[in-house]
Amino acid sequence: MAPPTEPTLLLELRGVTVPGRGANRLEEVSLQLRPGERVALLGASGAGKSTLLAVANGLLTPPAGAVLWQGAAPARSSRLRQRQRSRIGTLWQDLRLIEELTVQQNLNAARLADWGWPKALANLLQPLETEANEAALREVDLDPALLPQPVTALSGGQRQRLAIARLLRQQPALLLADEPLAQLDPRLAVELLALLLRQVTGSRALLLSLHRPDLAGGFDRVLALRAGKLVLDTTPADLNPALLRWLYDPAPAAPRIGTP
Amino acid sequence: MTTTAWSWRPAAPLLPLLPALALLPLLLVLPGLVHGGGWDLVAQFAAAAMTPSLNPLLLRTAIAGLGITVGIALLGWALSLALGLVGGVLSSRIVWRTCLGVAWPAGAIRRFLAVPRSIHELLWGLLLLQLLGLKPAVAMLAIAIPYAALVARVVSDLLDALPTAPLQALRSSGAPAGAALLTALGPALLPGAFSYGGYRLECALRSATLLGVFGLGGLGTELRLSLQSLQFHELWTGLWLLLAVMLSLEALLRALRHRWGMPSRFKLTTAGVGRSGRELLLALLGLLPVLVLVAVALEISPAQLLAWQPLPPLQANWPAVLALPWAALAATTLGLTLLAACLAVGVAPLLLLLVAPWPWGRLLLRAVWAMGRLWPPPLTALLLLFVLKPGVITAALALAFHNLGVLGRLLLEACEDTADQPGSGGAEVALSCSGCGPRLALLYGRFSGLARSYLAYGAYRADVILRETVVVGLVGAAGLGSLLLEALSSFAVDELIALIAVYALLTLLGEDLSDRVRQRLLSG
Repeated sequence: MAPPTEPTLLLELRGVTVPGRGANRLEEVSLQLRPGERVALLGASGAGKSTLLAVANGLLTPPAGAVLWQGAAPARSSRLRQRQRSRIGTLWQDLRLIEELTVQQNLNAARLADWGWPKALANLLQPLETEANEAALREVDLDPALLPQPVTALSGGQRQRLAIARLLRQQPALLLADEPLAQLDPRLAVELLALLLRQVTGSRALLLSLHRPDLAGGFDRVLALRAGKLVLDTTPADLNPALLRWLYDPAPAAPRIGTP
Repeated sequence: MTTTAWSWRPAAPLLPLLPALALLPLLLVLPGLVHGGGWDLVAQFAAAAMTPSLNPLLLRTAIAGLGITVGIALLGWALSLALGLVGGVLSSRIVWRTCLGVAWPAGAIRRFLAVPRSIHELLWGLLLLQLLGLKPAVAMLAIAIPYAALVARVVSDLLDALPTAPLQALRSSGAPAGAALLTALGPALLPGAFSYGGYRLECALRSATLLGVFGLGGLGTELRLSLQSLQFHELWTGLWLLLAVMLSLEALLRALRHRWGMPSRFKLTTAGVGRSGRELLLALLGLLPVLVLVAVALEISPAQLLAWQPLPPLQANWPAVLALPWAALAATTLGLTLLAACLAVGVAPLLLLLVAPWPWGRLLLRAVWAMGRLWPPPLTALLLLFVLKPGVITAALALAFHNLGVLGRLLLEACEDTADQPGSGGAEVALSCSGCGPRLALLYGRFSGLARSYLAYGAYRADVILRETVVVGLVGAAGLGSLLLEALSSFAVDELIALIAVYALLTLLGEDLSDRVRQRLLSG
C-alpha cells in the first residue's frame, strides 16, 4: 500500500462512513484513485454509489472517515476549498445545465471558479472565450455553430454532449460521473461512454458509476458497492456471472468471491 | 474568432438586478435631502430596541391593542375569502359558459369588481369612518371589501386556467352543470386558492396594523402615538409583540402549506397538487367558532353596519377641483411608484448576493426583512422624517422598505427550495461543486431559473405599490395620496370624489400594464 499522503493520489477515501438507512449509507469505505485510471463503480440501486460520489466531490462531508483530494484534506478556508473543488469535475445524471442561458454561457460557467466578478458579469452580456468553447464543442462532436443557441434548443443527445464539454472547460484533474448513461438509448450510451473514456488523458482520472456491467470493458478497474460496503476492487476481466448475480441480488446470503 | 458584439439583452440572471440601478441616481440626490438634525433621535430609537418598556400597564394596553388588530385582521380576512370565493365563481368565464352557455356576464362582473379593488383599504377605512363612526367593524369592512375583490380576481383566474377536459367529460356523460363544475374544478382549485388565501391572511395582519396607524383602532394607533411622542421604549414594546405574532403566523401558514402540499407564491400560476383535503376542511370548520368568538369579543354585529351617520353637506366647487395640477399629481404618483418598486425589486436579490458567503447573512436579512414587513410604511416615513426632508423620495424609501420585506422573504424562500425539482437549485449545487464561489453560484445557478417568476411577482408588487402610495401621503408632496389625505381631513368632498376617481383610474391602468408585463414574463 502506498504511503497515505503520497501526492500522486488524486482521490483517497479512508474509512468513510455515512450512517443512515437504505440508499444513503456508506460503511467504512476506503479507496484510492491514481492519475490516468479509468474506474467503473458498480452496484445495485441503493448500494450507495451516489453517496460515494457525493462524498468524493465534496457535496457531502462524511461524519466519520477522511477524504483527501490530491493528498490534502478539504481546506478550512473557503477560498482554498473552492480551489480544491475546481479540480474535480462532476457529470450529473440530470446534467444541471443552466436552462435560461446559451450554450456559450453554460460552457463559460465552468470557468467561474477562476473568474472574477467583471468577467462573470461580462459573460452574461457578451460572448467570451469563443475559441476555447468552439474547441470544447468539437471535442465532444458538437457543431461550434451551436454556441449562441439557447440550451433549450438542443436535443437530448446534444445536451449530454454539452454537459461533457462543460466538464472539459473546467479542466479538472478528476472526473466524477453519476450514472451518466442511465437514461440513454443503448447506442447513444455506448457512444457517450467512449467519449468520456477518451477524455482521460495525461494525469486525469475518471470514476464513473455504471448501471450496466456489460459496459465495464473499457475501464482499467472496477469497484463495486453492496449495501454501503465496498466489496470489490478488481479488473473488468474478473467480472463473471456469479459475481454479478451476487452484486445485484438483494438476498444477503451469498459467497464472497473474487474480492482482492 | 467569431463575433464579440455586446448584446443589449442581458441574460436571465442579470434581470432581477437591473431595477437596482435606481440606486445610482438615488445615492446622488440623497445627501441633499438630509436636513442635518435628528440623528440623535434615530440613535435613541435604535438603542431603545434592546430596552423595550416592560411597564405592566403599558404591556396590558399593547396586548389589548394587538388583540384588536389580530381580531380585525382575522375577521376581515375571513369575510373577504367568503365574498371573494363567491365573486370569483361569478366572474369566471368557464362557470358562465357551462351554466348558461355565454361568457359575457363574467367579463362584466370582473370589470365591476375592479372598482373596489382599485381603492386601497386605507381609503375604504377613512371613508367608512365618515359613514359609520369609529368602531372595529369599520376596519374589518375596510379590509374585507378590497381584499374580496382581489381574491375574486385570483379565484376566477385560477378557475379559467384549469384544464377543461375533465369538465367536458362529465358534461358529456350527462352530469348537471353545477355538479360537474364542483366535481371537475372544485378539488383542482383548492390548492391554489388556499395557498393564496393564506398569503392574504398575512397581508390582512399588515393592513390591520396600518389602519390602526391612521386611528382605526388596535395596536397601530398605540404605535403611532408612541412614535409621535418620541416614547421609543414604548414603541418597541408594541413592535416586538407584533413581530412575534407576525412571524408565528407566517411560520404556521408555511408549515400548513408544506403539510398540505400547496404551491408557493411564485408558483401559483402552475397547478399544484393538494393533499389531506379532509384535514383542511376540518381546519376551516374549526375556524368558524373562533371567528364568532372574535366577533363577540370585538363587539361587532351586523346591526352596527346599518347605523349610518349623516354626511356633511356637499358643497361642490368643481372649477376649483378641475384646476388642480392633475398631470403633475399623476406623474408624481407614478414616479413614486416606479422608484419604490425598482428599489424593492432590485435590492432584494442584491442583498442576497451580498450576504451569500456568510452563514449568518441570511439570518440577518430575514430579520431586516421581517422588520420591513412589520412596520407600516407611514411609520417608516415618520421615522425617516427625523433625518430626511419630506417629499417623494422619502415616501418612496418608506414604501420600498416595506415591500422589500415582502419581496425579499419570498425570494429567500424560493432560493431555499430543495433541489428535488429540475431547475430549482441543482445548477447552484453543481456550480458550488465545481469550485465556484457562493455569490456566483447563486447568481448563475439560482437567479437564472427564478428571474422570470420573480420579476413577474415584482410587476404585481408594483401594482400593489401604486395603490399603497396613499399610505405615505402624510409625508407631504407625494402626489395624489397627500392631497387625498388632506381632502379627507378637511371634508372637501368634491375634491375627494375627483381624487378617488382619478386614483382608481390610475390604479386600473397600472393593473392592466402590470398584467401585460407579467404575462410576457411568464410566457416568453
